[in-house]
Amino acid sequence: MDHRPQAWGRPRDDVFGPYDPSYLQTTGPKTATQQPIVTGTSVIAIKFKDGVVMAADNLASYGSLARFTDVKRLHPFLGHTIVGFGGDVSDMQYLTRHLNELAIDEAYDHEAASAQSGGGSHLNAANLHKYLSKLMYRRRNSFDPLWNAILVAGFDSQGKPFLGSVDLRGTAFTSPSLATGFGAMLAQPIMRKYAATEGDTENMTRDEAVRVVKECMKVLFYRDARSLDRYSLAVVTKDGVELSEDEQLEQQSWAFAERIRGYGTQTVPSLSGSETISALLALYP
Amino acid sequence: MFRNNYDNDSVTFSPQGRIFQVEYAAEAVKQGSVVNPKPAQRRRTLVLPKKLFPIDEHVGIAIAGLTSDARVLSNFMKQQCLGHRLTYGRSMPVRTLVDLIGSKAQINTQHYGKRPYGVGLLIAGVDEHGPHLFEFQPSGMTEEMIAFAIGARSQMARTYLEKHLDKFADCSRDELIRHGLRALKESLVQDRELTIDNTSVGVVGIKEQGEDGAAAKIEPFRVYDGQDVAEWIESVSDERGAEGEGMEVDS
Amino acid sequence: MTSIGTGYDLANSIFSPDGRNFQVEYALKAVENGGTSIGIRCKEGVVLAVEKIITSKLLKPGANKRIATVDRHIGIAFSGMIPDGRHFIDRARDEARAWRDTFKTPITTADLASRMGGYMQAYTLYQSVRPFGITTIIAGYDSPEDERVDGEVGRGPSCGAGGKVAGKTHGGPYLYMIEPSGLYWGYYGAATGKGRQAAKAELEKLDLQGDSLTLEQAVKEAARIIYVAHDDSKDKDFELEMTWISGPDGPTKGLHQEVPKALREEAERLAKKALEDDDEEEAKEEKKDDDKMEE
Repeated sequence: MDHRPQAWGRPRDDVFGPYDPSYLQTTGPKTATQQPIVTGTSVIAIKFKDGVVMAADNLASYGSLARFTDVKRLHPFLGHTIVGFGGDVSDMQYLTRHLNELAIDEAYDHEAASAQSGGGSHLNAANLHKYLSKLMYRRRNSFDPLWNAILVAGFDSQGKPFLGSVDLRGTAFTSPSLATGFGAMLAQPIMRKYAATEGDTENMTRDEAVRVVKECMKVLFYRDARSLDRYSLAVVTKDGVELSEDEQLEQQSWAFAERIRGYGTQTVPSLSGSETISALLALYP
Repeated sequence: MFRNNYDNDSVTFSPQGRIFQVEYAAEAVKQGSVVNPKPAQRRRTLVLPKKLFPIDEHVGIAIAGLTSDARVLSNFMKQQCLGHRLTYGRSMPVRTLVDLIGSKAQINTQHYGKRPYGVGLLIAGVDEHGPHLFEFQPSGMTEEMIAFAIGARSQMARTYLEKHLDKFADCSRDELIRHGLRALKESLVQDRELTIDNTSVGVVGIKEQGEDGAAAKIEPFRVYDGQDVAEWIESVSDERGAEGEGMEVDS
Repeated sequence: MTSIGTGYDLANSIFSPDGRNFQVEYALKAVENGGTSIGIRCKEGVVLAVEKIITSKLLKPGANKRIATVDRHIGIAFSGMIPDGRHFIDRARDEARAWRDTFKTPITTADLASRMGGYMQAYTLYQSVRPFGITTIIAGYDSPEDERVDGEVGRGPSCGAGGKVAGKTHGGPYLYMIEPSGLYWGYYGAATGKGRQAAKAELEKLDLQGDSLTLEQAVKEAARIIYVAHDDSKDKDFELEMTWISGPDGPTKGLHQEVPKALREEAERLAKKALEDDDEEEAKEEKKDDDKMEE
């Protein structure tokens, strides 16, 4: 009989055979979030001389399913900042709750500090961007990332327009124009055509910036299968945030699509049925 | 003989609703030599013998009382300021910082086995709302002042400051420092003088704003002592006996 | 005080033979020495006002606030030991945040009062702590509207029940006062601190249960009552601090805010005038009495 403590309570080896502890073992390391579940696609933004314009569509996808079609992914923060979220929607919800609490806390401090000076500045977009980058980087280093790509737009402490991005790895940077997800491939080149440098943005008007962003949203809707033609558009200026959450893409033209092989329920009239089959066989041998 | 039974700890109220341990801690502040800063629209100035600590670029403190307690608080404040800078990329609002040590000190007045901090502080700093001066007491009380003095014989210095209260707002940097030194002189015991060996001056402020409307830059907190304060001391040393109205040299 | 010397008052949480906790009563003494605080609830909202005694000329005027916001829709004023009050407010803010974390919705005034009442009470239970040397007044306006849950994105179904009962209203203005013992009640008008007797007498004259008093009138009454309560004690100079909370349709849009400077100054002007008029009347009365005596 085995009297060692580690044998207590175990079936007797001489009766039941050697104990197989393999099922107790967990295979591999502890895992947290491995992938996003319900997702939002691109967020795009561009600076202009008096502020920043940002846009994101109102879709939350569950895989390829267009699961929610009225989701707001742009969130104002303390009056002069807008935060746009791509990626996991529940992580976005967590973050917006968190930012709401941050805003309440900031108001406590502000209330006490501005008692006499009648104003002064809040936590600005640059401060918030720094904060979010620390938050995202900490989560990534605990191997439990918040699966988002975030744009922060507003003003810095000098009062200049500010635009920064943070992603799930904590990578943070700023640029005259920014886009997350598909937008980084499809919208960014278009925006760079208009504002490649900080100098360019200083000459850009608000109307021009809005036009460029709308154009980009259209291109994204054409080419991104997880996108929607309903979107939110935010303009941040010194006067605050103007947020419209029910924009509709206008003047769409799908003519280009006809030239794309395999698009939609395309039929090619000049071919007969058997010809079609052989054409298809040629395509997929 | 009468013996006060209500002063053994900070968790016992006296029948009058007082907490003697906290009041005794306030006495410790009066053991320290005078500290008296005084501030103007754009600047806070601290003046005192050997008791100034920089906290962060935009904040400095002056202490009166137990130096070791002050070290604990100043280390805490330094860490908080640094943490805030790291997380948000901005300097911590001075009121926020002061509230933190206020809350910390209050805890020590409500729990058995703790004692109140035996130190008073003057906290001078600049933030987005402009220059600020706060007083901190062992009770956890923190108040924003226009000018103030704490420590031994500080009443005389406060009297001076009250008398010249209206002038500070429009003072130049040097005038403000001289006001500080004069107030400090008031608190000296008979036959003692301000010298470069017993006087330090701490200054933090806002630099004059540029013509181009660029945001005002701050003058980081800096402690001046030794030869650096000689000129200032010199400039107020020949005023002895010329107190009162005769002192309007700085208008 | 007959209790002194019997030893039952030397530590917190000790019952005396007649069932009293003397340390709590002593804590109340600390409150009674503090500047007066009042709260007025009317149909349109709530007003808080405190009398801040100016202890030094060197204090920066208007810079040291004593009424604090908790979450966005609740305000707390207190009389007594100021550092204790600051701690109480810190705790109330923690409670409000914890509530949001748990329920994803702002805490109601009643729930905050309950939590904080419990917190105060806990400090009467142990010898290792002392009771709070403050009495606090909690004012809030719970939103009558359907509020979006924190972090909510998009809308729910556009049709279906939604759990609404026709004609049932929610939220509204609330006012509570908590004492060092942890005791709290809801009030129409609450007063504490040095001038509480005079203030209560004035509050009782107001029609607070009806709907005749507008929020702006309540602000003016609050200012006047603080002036009356102060006048009674003939103390040093003081500063008046006032905050208010209206419903979403009112001037503060459901937020706890400082009363705008213009309105506060107007209220103070009226308060001073009312005091002067009272004095004149009193003088006249006295004169009449004197005349009668002479007759």
